[in-house]
Amino acid sequence: MEIINIFFVIVIAPVIGGLLFGLDRKLTARLQKRMGPPILQPFYDLFKLFGKGRIASNQFQLISVSVYIACTILSLILLATGQDLLVLLFVLALGHIMLILGGFSVRSPYSQIGSQREILQLMAYEPLLVFMVIGTYLKTGSFLVSNLMTGSYKPLLISLPAFLLTQIIVMAIKLHKSPFDISASHHAHQELVRGIYTEFSGAQLALIEMAHWYELILLMGFIALLWQTNLVIGGLIAFACFLAVILLDNISARLTWKWMIRFAWSFGVGISVANLAAIYILR
Amino acid sequence: MNILQKSRAKSPWILHYDAGACNGCDIEILACLTPVYDIERFGMVNVGNPKHADVLLVTGTCNKRSARVLKNLYDQMPDPKVVVAVGACALSGGIFHECYNVLQGVDGTVPVDVYVPGCAPRPEAIMEGVMMALEKMNKR
Amino acid sequence: MSNLIYYVPLSIILVALILAPLVFAFVISIVRSDYLRSLIIIMIAAVLAISSLILFARVTITHQIIHYAPGLIDWNLLVTIADFGLMAMFIRMGVRRKSALILVFAVIQTIILAWVEFGPKHTEMAYPPIFIDWLSIVMTLIVSIVGSVVAIYSLPYMREHERHQNLTISKQPQFFRTLLLFLGAMNGMVLSGNLLWIYFFWEITTLCSFCLISHDETEESLRNATRALWMNMVGGVGFITGIALIQFNKLPMDASRLLELVRTGNEAHIIALLILPMACLCFAGFTKAAQMPFQSWLLGAMVAPTPVSALLHSSTMVKAGVYLIIRFAPIFRHTALSEMVAIVGAFSFITGAMLAIGQSNAKKVLAYSTISNLGLIIACAGLNTPLALAAAVMLIIFHAVSKGLLFMATGVVDQSIHSKDIEDMQGLWARMPLTSLIMVIGILSMLLPPFGVLIAKLAAIESSIQNPLVMVMLVIGSTLTVVFWTKWMGRMLATNPQADGRKRENLPALYAGTLAFLACGAVILSLFIKPILENLVLPAVANYYNVAGMEMTPTVLSAPWLMIFLVIALSVLAPTFFNHLRSSQIKPAYLCGEQISSRAATAQFLTVADGTAEMTVRSYYFEKVTDESFHVKWVTIVATLLIVILFGAVYLWK
Ligand code: SF4
Repeated sequence: MEIINIFFVIVIAPVIGGLLFGLDRKLTARLQKRMGPPILQPFYDLFKLFGKGRIASNQFQLISVSVYIACTILSLILLATGQDLLVLLFVLALGHIMLILGGFSVRSPYSQIGSQREILQLMAYEPLLVFMVIGTYLKTGSFLVSNLMTGSYKPLLISLPAFLLTQIIVMAIKLHKSPFDISASHHAHQELVRGIYTEFSGAQLALIEMAHWYELILLMGFIALLWQTNLVIGGLIAFACFLAVILLDNISARLTWKWMIRFAWSFGVGISVANLAAIYILR
Repeated sequence: MNILQKSRAKSPWILHYDAGACNGCDIEILACLTPVYDIERFGMVNVGNPKHADVLLVTGTCNKRSARVLKNLYDQMPDPKVVVAVGACALSGGIFHECYNVLQGVDGTVPVDVYVPGCAPRPEAIMEGVMMALEKMNKR
Repeated sequence: MSNLIYYVPLSIILVALILAPLVFAFVISIVRSDYLRSLIIIMIAAVLAISSLILFARVTITHQIIHYAPGLIDWNLLVTIADFGLMAMFIRMGVRRKSALILVFAVIQTIILAWVEFGPKHTEMAYPPIFIDWLSIVMTLIVSIVGSVVAIYSLPYMREHERHQNLTISKQPQFFRTLLLFLGAMNGMVLSGNLLWIYFFWEITTLCSFCLISHDETEESLRNATRALWMNMVGGVGFITGIALIQFNKLPMDASRLLELVRTGNEAHIIALLILPMACLCFAGFTKAAQMPFQSWLLGAMVAPTPVSALLHSSTMVKAGVYLIIRFAPIFRHTALSEMVAIVGAFSFITGAMLAIGQSNAKKVLAYSTISNLGLIIACAGLNTPLALAAAVMLIIFHAVSKGLLFMATGVVDQSIHSKDIEDMQGLWARMPLTSLIMVIGILSMLLPPFGVLIAKLAAIESSIQNPLVMVMLVIGSTLTVVFWTKWMGRMLATNPQADGRKRENLPALYAGTLAFLACGAVILSLFIKPILENLVLPAVANYYNVAGMEMTPTVLSAPWLMIFLVIALSVLAPTFFNHLRSSQIKPAYLCGEQISSRAATAQFLTVADGTAEMTVRSYYFEKVTDESFHVKWVTIVATLLIVILFGAVYLWK
C-alpha cells in the first residue's frame, strides 16, 4: 500500500498537477476572452525547458533547486503515507527556504527583491498552515494523517470551517496568484521581471515548475483532508478551491507586501484563532 | 518530430528588445498579446528575461550603445535560441538608414534567423516570423 | 569498561569538574607565556570533557541519582564565607563604578543573606549538598564540552584581539582566569542541590560575566557591564529572597528534597507555601536568561570580545537562568505561576524574534535570537508537562551547540572583514567559503528540519496545545524566526557570478578545529536525536514526573527522520559533487543587458555618458515597522506588567 502511494505521488501527482496548471491557463484565457494555450501547454513548456542548454550563475543554484524539489516531493510522500503533519510542514518550509536562498545566491536586483518578498510570502502563509494542523490535532488528538484517516471522526470541515478559507488564501499565496503575486508572477510583470525565478533557467526552471505541480497537489491534499471521510468529496472541494483561486487571480490586481501580511495575519490568523477558540470552548 | 522538438515548437518564450525603433513595431508586437491575436494560443509568452527566452524579437535599428545591450542579451540566452528581426529598421536601418549614429540593421550585431519586413509589419506577419524561426531551430 | 568507569571515584570527578577550573583559574592568572597558557587551557578542556562524559556514563549505567557529601573540610562554612566575600566584592564594585543600583542591591542581598545564614534555622539538610541527576548531567555535558570548545577557540581569538589594541601588558591572564572560573562555577551550580550552594555559584557567574563584559575597559563596555551587573543583582535579590522565604516557611533548603516532597506527597499545603519562593526563583531565572524586560544586559554584553558572547549565550550564564526554572518546574506544576511563566517565556520568544528582524548587526541578531530561544525554553518549563520539559531539555542541548557555533563563526568573520554587519557579509560564500559554510550549517540547524532545534520546537508546539495563548504566540514566533535567519543566509550567499571561483580559505587550526567540531556536533547530534532523547532527556524528565517513556516522547520523533535526513543529504550532495558547472555555462546576473560585459566578475553596469556604476543590493530591514527604540519601549512595559501580574497571580493563588 505504501509503495503504491509513493508511486502515485512520484509519477501521477505531477501529471495531474500539470494538467491543472494547463486548465488554469486555459480558464484564465477564457475569462479574458482569449483562446488560450492547449491544456497540455505546461508539459510542452517543461520538456522544452529540460532540453535547453545549461546556464547558471553559480553552483549553489543547482543545489537549491535540487533540495527544493526533493523536499516538496518528500512532503507529498509524507502526506500520502500518513505521517506527521507538523513535520511535513517544516520539510516543505525547508524546500521553500532553499529556493529563496537560491534566488539570493545571485547578486541580481530582480532575484534579490523577489527573494526578499518571497520570505514575506512564506511568513504570510506559514502560520495559517500551522494553525490548520493544530485544528486537526484538537479534533483528533494527533498530528498523524493516518490517525485522521482511520479514526471515525466527522468530516473536519464541519468543525473547522474557517480553515477552508485560510487554505484558499494559502493556495493563492503559494501559487503566486493575484493579489498575492508580489515576489514573482506568471505574467510578465516587468518591474520584477520574474522575481525570484529570474536567474534560474533551463532544467533548473523546469524542476522548479515541476515542484510547483507537486506543491499544488499537496495543497489540494491539505484541503481534501478537511473532508477526510470521503476523499472524493474532499478532492472535489479542493478542486473548487482551485477554481476559486483562479477566479480570484483574474478579478483582482496585485497589491503590496504590507497589505498581504496585514491581510493574512489579521483576517487569516484572526479566523483561524477564532475557529480554534471555538473548539477550545466547546470541548 | 520527437517530443522535444514538438515541445520547442509549441512553447516559444519571447524576449522583446527595442534597439531603437520608432515604437511602431513594438506596438504591433504588443498587439499580438491582445485577445484579438492572442499569441498565447501557440504557447508564446512574453517573458522579458533572456535567461528564460527562446526567441529574441528585435525591433528598430541598432546604434552603438543598443548594440552592446543586444549582444549582452543574446549572450545570456540559453541554447537553442533564434533571433527574429521585426520591421524595416531592424532589417536594414529603415528610415534611419542614413543617420550618422546607427548601424544599419541588427544582423551585424547578432545572427538573425528570420527577417520580418514591413513598416510596421502586421501582427500576423510577426507571428508567422516566429513560427518560421522555430522551424529553423528544429531543423538545426 | 563499565567497571573502569566505576573505579573512578566520584570525588575525583567532582574535583575535576568544579575545583580544577577554579584552581587553575588562579594558576593561569599568573602565567604570562602564551604557550603555557594554551597548554593549560587545552588540558583543562580535555579534563572537563572527559570527566563530564565519565559522569554521564556512570549515571547511565547505574541509573541512580547521586547524593554526595564532599569530605575533608567543612564546605558549607567555606561557601558561607565565600558568599560574604562575594558580597563585599559587589559592594566594592558598586563603589568603584559609582553605581547606586549595584550598591543598593548588594546591600539588600547581604542583609537577607545574613538573615538566612544566622537567623533561626529550622531544618536539617536531608541530603548532602552535591546532587546529581540527569538534568545536572545534561548541563554539565554542555558546560564542559561546549564551554571548553569556546575556551580553546578563545586562545587564537584573544591573541588576535590584543594585536589590534596595542596593550603594554597583555590582559589575557585575567581573561582566561575569568573564563575558567565561569566554567567551574557553572559546573558547581548544576551539580549542587543545596540552595545556598546554587546561590553561591549563581553569584559567581554574575561576577564573572561582569568581568568578561568589561574586559576591554572601554567606556561602553564598562557602562554595559555595570548594567549587566545590576540587572543580574536584581535577580540575585530575587534568588536570596526565595531562599529566605523557604527558610521562613520551615521548608528544606534542598532542591532534591523539595522535589521529593512534591513528587511523593503532592500535598497542597506544601505547594501553597512554596509557590511564592518559587516565583522569586523564577524571577531570578528571568533576569539571568535575559527575558524581557531584562533583555538589555545581554544586548549590551555584545561589546565584549566574541568568545565571551559565545560563552554567555550558549553554554553558561543564560542557561543558568533556564536551568533554575526547569530545576524547580515540577514543584509549581498546575499553578497560576506555571501559566504565567509560560506566558512570560512565550512573550520573549515572539518579541525577541520580532526585534531581530530589524537588526543588521550580526551579534545583535544572535542576541535577540538567544533571548527568543530562551523564551521558548522557559515557555516549555511553564507548560510543565513531561513532553514540554523534554522539549526544553532538548532545546538547551541543541541551542547551546548551534548558538556557540554561530557566535564563534561571527567572531572569525569579524576578525577577517573587520565588521559585524550582516550587509558587509554579502558574498562571504565566495570570500570565506569554509566559515560561511559552517555559518550556514549553524543557521540551518537553528531553524529547519532535520535538525534538533526544530524537532524540539515542534515538540514544544505540540505540548503548547493545552494552553491556547502560548500556542498562538509560539506559532507566530516561529514564523518570525524564519525571516531574520533567511535574510542573513541570503546575504552571505549573494555572490557575483564568476567572482573568480571560490577561493581557498586559510583558517588557523584552532579556529577550523573548534568550528568544525561544533558544526559536526550540530549535524551528528541531530542525526542521533533518538538515542539522545532516550538516554539523556527522557531519564531527566521521567525522574521529575514519575511517568513512563511513552507519555513524553514527542510524536514528531515517530516521523521517518532517517529517510528525511537521507533525502535531504542526497539532494544536497548530488548537485554538489556530480553536476559541476563549466565556466562557459556561468552567466552574469540579468541587468537589462547593461552589464559591462558578459564576462565581468563585478556587478557593474553602464550608465549615462558611458560611466560605470556598481550595482548594490541590500536586505530588507523594514525600518518603518521594526523600529527598535519604539518596540523596546512597549515591550519593556508589557513585560514588566506581565511580571507584576505573575506575582499578583501567585499572591492571589491559594
Ligand atoms: S520599421 Fe517602421 S514602424 Fe518599425 S521601427 Fe522602423 S520606422 Fe518604426
